[in-house]
Amino acid sequence: MPLRVNLFTAHKAATALRQPVGSFAPRNIASPLRFRAEQSAPIQKRWNSSKDDKKVIPPDEQKFPTQDPLPHVSEEAAEVDRIMSKEKSCDGQPTAPELEQGSPVEEILSRDKEAMKHMPKVMQDQMKKGTRSFSTSARSRLPDIQNSQPEADASAAILASMIQGVEEQTTERLPGLKFAEPEAPQGTLNFRKRYDTMQDQFTKMLMQDGKLARAQKNMSTILDTLRTSSPPNIQSRRPLIGAPPAPQLPLDPVLYLTLIVDSVAPLFRIRQQKGIAGGGTAVQVPHPLTLRQRRRTAIKWIIDGSEKRRDAQLAHRVANELIAIAEGRSGVWDRRDQQHKIGISGRANLGLAPRRR
Amino acid sequence: MASAWCWSCLSRLRPTPQAVLPPSSAIPRGTSAFHSSAIQYAPPLKKKSNSMTQLKYRQGQTLRRKKKKTVEKARPPAPGERKAMRKRIVLSNPNALEVEGMQEISAENIVDARLRGSVLGLPVPMLDQLRAVQAFKPKQGWSIFRRPGAVVRRDTVEMGRLFEKISGEGDAPEKGKVVKKVVTGMKGSGKTVHLLQAMSMAFLKKWVVVTVPEARELVSGDTAYVPVEGSKPTQYIQPGATSALLMRTVEANREVLSSLKVSQKHEIAGLKPASSLEDLAKLGFQDPAVAWPVFKALWTELTATAAAPGMEKDFQPRPPMLVAVDGLAHWMQNSAYRDLDFNLIHAHDLIFVKHFLSLLRNGQAELKNGGMLLYATSTSNSPGVYALEVGLDQMAARQAGTSPTSPEYPSAEAYSNADPRVLDLFKPIEGKEPQMELQNLGGLTRDETRGYLEYFARSGLLREPINEQWVGEKWSMSGGGIIGELEKLGRHVRSAAIPTPTA
Repeated sequence: MPLRVNLFTAHKAATALRQPVGSFAPRNIASPLRFRAEQSAPIQKRWNSSKDDKKVIPPDEQKFPTQDPLPHVSEEAAEVDRIMSKEKSCDGQPTAPELEQGSPVEEILSRDKEAMKHMPKVMQDQMKKGTRSFSTSARSRLPDIQNSQPEADASAAILASMIQGVEEQTTERLPGLKFAEPEAPQGTLNFRKRYDTMQDQFTKMLMQDGKLARAQKNMSTILDTLRTSSPPNIQSRRPLIGAPPAPQLPLDPVLYLTLIVDSVAPLFRIRQQKGIAGGGTAVQVPHPLTLRQRRRTAIKWIIDGSEKRRDAQLAHRVANELIAIAEGRSGVWDRRDQQHKIGISGRANLGLAPRRR
Repeated sequence: MASAWCWSCLSRLRPTPQAVLPPSSAIPRGTSAFHSSAIQYAPPLKKKSNSMTQLKYRQGQTLRRKKKKTVEKARPPAPGERKAMRKRIVLSNPNALEVEGMQEISAENIVDARLRGSVLGLPVPMLDQLRAVQAFKPKQGWSIFRRPGAVVRRDTVEMGRLFEKISGEGDAPEKGKVVKKVVTGMKGSGKTVHLLQAMSMAFLKKWVVVTVPEARELVSGDTAYVPVEGSKPTQYIQPGATSALLMRTVEANREVLSSLKVSQKHEIAGLKPASSLEDLAKLGFQDPAVAWPVFKALWTELTATAAAPGMEKDFQPRPPMLVAVDGLAHWMQNSAYRDLDFNLIHAHDLIFVKHFLSLLRNGQAELKNGGMLLYATSTSNSPGVYALEVGLDQMAARQAGTSPTSPEYPSAEAYSNADPRVLDLFKPIEGKEPQMELQNLGGLTRDETRGYLEYFARSGLLREPINEQWVGEKWSMSGGGIIGELEKLGRHVRSAAIPTPTA
């Protein structure tokens, strides 16, 4: 039997109109083929409620699922082999029965003139040979352009050299950029990001009973105290990390505050890990902290330290504690040193800790 | 012997002798067979006395926690320390940068319109005078700049021209003119600093400055008060407050008062004929009982245009006066004082208050030598007085050209129970000068805003490029240049670059 399907147009839209194979009930390839063939009929049949349509099978012809056993292994292998190898189209893919046995749409249409009038536009376009709605012949005009070039050569060369000159200048001026750098939009005062991150975190830790406005007021008092108090007398043993010269610090109180907090912030916390040394002993294991966590710890220490001071206002207590830290007098430094000491001695325990997944 | 058995029920009649029975106390019933010790000898089981677990009758079953014991903290601050901290006025920040080319306010440049938008410093010798009249308030933010200064705005230049005019200088001198102004404006619009600028100009022009820095203190019931005998309705003197007023007036105007001699006859004990006005005022310091008569005498001297007969020697013309009152609304309602019948005393019945309010009245020209009255309202501490609002509205309508007889002229609503004494104070009196004026302070212009914010930047407090766009943004955010809001924006720090911590 000659192949009735034009495989060269198989990928085109017309033949793609066929129903997808997957819309059938999924067939288990492992199940016996005969059983599959039997099963496919009831699936396509509707399960109506009326019993009249039901074909009455005499009891001696009735079949039960357990009645016929599975075919022999070799039989099944032969069947599979037939599908996979023999029923192949010429491109080597296993074919589907509708390709093999069904009649393509073109064939039906060629017989039916009436249907041809109403067929989809894609197919109609395909039937029309010759002109297309679009053109793909771009190359044919190229010689014309090439021919016309020598006429405007002189002015174009000048223009080209000018462009090149400008580009070279720009490259010299802005290395890596072809055009001038676009201006970034100027930051405006967004009320959600009104305060510096660090200042915001400190303010919220100062807050008591959820009174944020009061905490903000306290924070502004703290910043004003930092701004107006004399520049700190910084000890060389305990410098503020990355700080400008001390006389410049009070003029930028937020930076001053940030430097103080970051300088006393511990690098890690000490975790008491049980069950790695055995015998129920807890082992001290250093555990790294993120920037925000480090700052949080430092702020907590600072506020704790300020509680021992005798100033009347909370803001003044905290501000004086901050200045004491900047000058290296505060106990917060000792706390940080202690933490680091434990952490360094606990480094050996790092390998013992069970890894988290 | 009769039988021991009862013949009818076959039970024994007599109990068995005690010795026959096993001793009941020796083996108690609860004893186990295998224990040799008796249970009575063990200590009795005590009930657990834990109040957390033991529930009493009809007691709630929710979780009860023991309260934390309050830990003994450091001693509280000494008495008065907190108030001193609250009232402290710091006028200098040595950390702030010195602004180069900053001018001082002087008698010449107060009328210079070219200085609009620039911040003029207050001269150092004047600071003591301004402190004496309590021109600085604690929360005004003087403490962040190197030295105190105030921005020159349109109203300041206009006021400077008035000062020049009343002092009898300049192009159109009007010596002896009296200007009365009620200064109003939004919160943070600079009313109090406007008064401060007026005082500094008055000191520069050698005027006498009399101030009431806090009108509330006179009516809040904090100072002593004495009824005046025979007055009807009864009026009250506040000797302590008067004494304080005399003190600050002498402290601030010592130079002027010491140069003027007493020129009228006063019935005050201890007053020598050739004494200066400073000596006169000092009599009121010692004895608050005579403070009010001394103040009256001082006032008569300052408003005198000529000496009494027989005292012409050493008479010098008196300088103009500046009277500044802050927080006017407190004087427009009942005070916290009580009379004998325990009724509230109206503020207008306090002689001190009445004296200063009578100066403000339309057509009243008690300041014979000229001068300026500046009565500012307050928005941060102010009682809502409906009659005052109506009075100010009426004044604004009159200034806008509305006739008091026209239907658009504002008046108190019916049944609003507006205070008639207050409405009477603001009543227009036609044809008599001087009239009360309303001065409403608004925002700065954009140019003035720029000058003001540049001052922050030049003091090293603001680290942002000050350009047209940025200034425009801040101007809008401050409600159209309200200077108090601009100050907040100027001192608000946003760190541009926070260094990443390395260790």
